[in-house]
Amino acid sequence: MASLLQRVKSKLSIHAHRKARGLLEGQYGSVSHGRSLDFDDLRAYVPGDEVRDIDWKATARHGSPLVRRYVAARRQTLLLVTDTGRNMAAESRDGEPKGDIAVLALGVVGYLAHRHGDAVGLVCGDSGGTRALPGKAGEAHLERLLRAVHDTTSLDSAPSRLETQLDYVVRNFSQRMLLLVVADELLPDAETERLLRRLRAQHEILWLTVRDAELLGAGADSYDVASTTAGQRTRGHAGRRAGLLPGGLAESAAIAGAYARGQADRDSARQSMLRRLGIAEADAGSSLEVIPAVFTLLARRRRGR
Amino acid sequence: MELIFWWILPAAAGAVPAAWFLGRRRHRARAARRRPVAHSDRLTALPEYQAALRKHRNRLRLLAAAGTLLMVAAVVAAARPAERSTVRPEQHKRDIILCLDASGSMNSADAAVVDVFGSLARQFDGERIGLTIFDSSAVQVFPLTDDYDYVQDQLQQAKTAFDGAGSGSFLDGTWNGEGSSLIGDGLASCLQSFPAAPEGEEPGRRARSVILATDNFLSGTPLVTLAEAGALGKDRDVRIFALNPGDYDFGPDAGAEQPGARLRGVAEGSGGAYYALDSPDAVPGIVTGIEATQAAAVRGAPRSVVSDRAEVPLGVALLAGLVLAGASWRPRR
Repeated sequence: MASLLQRVKSKLSIHAHRKARGLLEGQYGSVSHGRSLDFDDLRAYVPGDEVRDIDWKATARHGSPLVRRYVAARRQTLLLVTDTGRNMAAESRDGEPKGDIAVLALGVVGYLAHRHGDAVGLVCGDSGGTRALPGKAGEAHLERLLRAVHDTTSLDSAPSRLETQLDYVVRNFSQRMLLLVVADELLPDAETERLLRRLRAQHEILWLTVRDAELLGAGADSYDVASTTAGQRTRGHAGRRAGLLPGGLAESAAIAGAYARGQADRDSARQSMLRRLGIAEADAGSSLEVIPAVFTLLARRRRGR
Repeated sequence: MELIFWWILPAAAGAVPAAWFLGRRRHRARAARRRPVAHSDRLTALPEYQAALRKHRNRLRLLAAAGTLLMVAAVVAAARPAERSTVRPEQHKRDIILCLDASGSMNSADAAVVDVFGSLARQFDGERIGLTIFDSSAVQVFPLTDDYDYVQDQLQQAKTAFDGAGSGSFLDGTWNGEGSSLIGDGLASCLQSFPAAPEGEEPGRRARSVILATDNFLSGTPLVTLAEAGALGKDRDVRIFALNPGDYDFGPDAGAEQPGARLRGVAEGSGGAYYALDSPDAVPGIVTGIEATQAAAVRGAPRSVVSDRAEVPLGVALLAGLVLAGASWRPRR
């Protein structure tokens, strides 16, 4: 099996040579500007801390794990947060599975962080549960993370619910991190906003939206992944109930207009919420758009928006 | 009401699961080609889309209903619903022999007589008709038959022959005797051409009539005189209806010896009637006269008649087909 990271690197190098030589060096700054290598203090170990940061002597004296604060501040951790539910196995705007685009985006940013010397962790899952891989440095680890996302994203997964993953991050990570959230065109509700506000208070957040498939103008029939179970899909019942969207049915101008308006409203609702919270956002509809989107994302973040 | 090909119904019912199975396989193949999408509420939540979907579904329901109705009606029609009824055809056991004098004196009138015979033959239904022509000897053109098409065909040939346009062979064999226009011999021959009563049927059950067209101008010596022939007719219970194309008055001195009067005597003596050919009463009078001869129509053996009654299923199929065509028609964009 071809390495997922290899794919990411090949995409990245093409773009990097043409667009910006500085990209590979990383364009995001350290969290703790001006702090030195100095030892600050010790604090209690929390999940997500690197084991190698543990001050074993202090731990032995104290009786419970302690980590050195300065190490954590110096070495930033990038936490990749994504959804591996059924939604991400659906088609993107340009027809690829959204999961593939997500893997590519996670890989690009993860690889930049890796080149920067940062640790990369992962929180992914669906409404059924969340899986977390701790932050570590190294290409092998990054490959493992991408593999985890790639392998768990399928049409047979549980339905998507990004709030579950966000909630997991809120509850389990006290360390300040850089978060990259890769999600699809979800419509954020009050719960999402509350979680994001809470996360934003602690972490730096980048948000990459993977564009969903266009529902109009496709000749083929479609079905909503949320409306079927895995069993129904394999038995050929996909979309027998509410999920079926007969292709070529809704071709009238009135529907097209309403659909375009609805899409614009949805986009602006999401974008305005993220802007309100100070979360940089970009979107990608195909794997070709991932690198430009990451560019935009990092540029926006540098500008503070 | 019954179905002739009743086995079509179970066959069609057996085809339903097969069609369902095939349809399911196609449905699965199509389902495999469907693209998975997320957040379909972006489209499905739109009221415009819901209205279009409702319309689409209603159309599909209509199509399904019309298609089912069409198939059911077609299957029922294919099973040939038929009505079996028993009829007892009426048989008017009457035999009629048209007896035509083809002598020279009748030359001018024969075509008209044949016309009258034709219109008489058209009025009968269930009777047997035969035609015999005579001059000095009698020839049976066709024996008693109820094949009216054949009768009309033969009468048409006779008319052509009398008009002079025929081959002339029609009158062959009528000059074999001594003299010409031997009325008594001709009538006797006609009376003889009634068949004997079939085995097991009492004689006289069939009413017998002769329609004799002659002007009663005798030339020569017949073997049987008109009066003797009339007596023979009376003896055999045959009614003689006379048609006279030349009903002339030969003066008071002729008296009862006038040909027309003698003919009338013979006809009425046998229970028949006498008419001049050009009399408007001739045809209806003879018809009523013959039909009065036997009031009791004999009923034939019961026959079972099967008639297809596919109108209703075919009509339903037509309507369903029209609905199907109308509902599946979509304006091309």
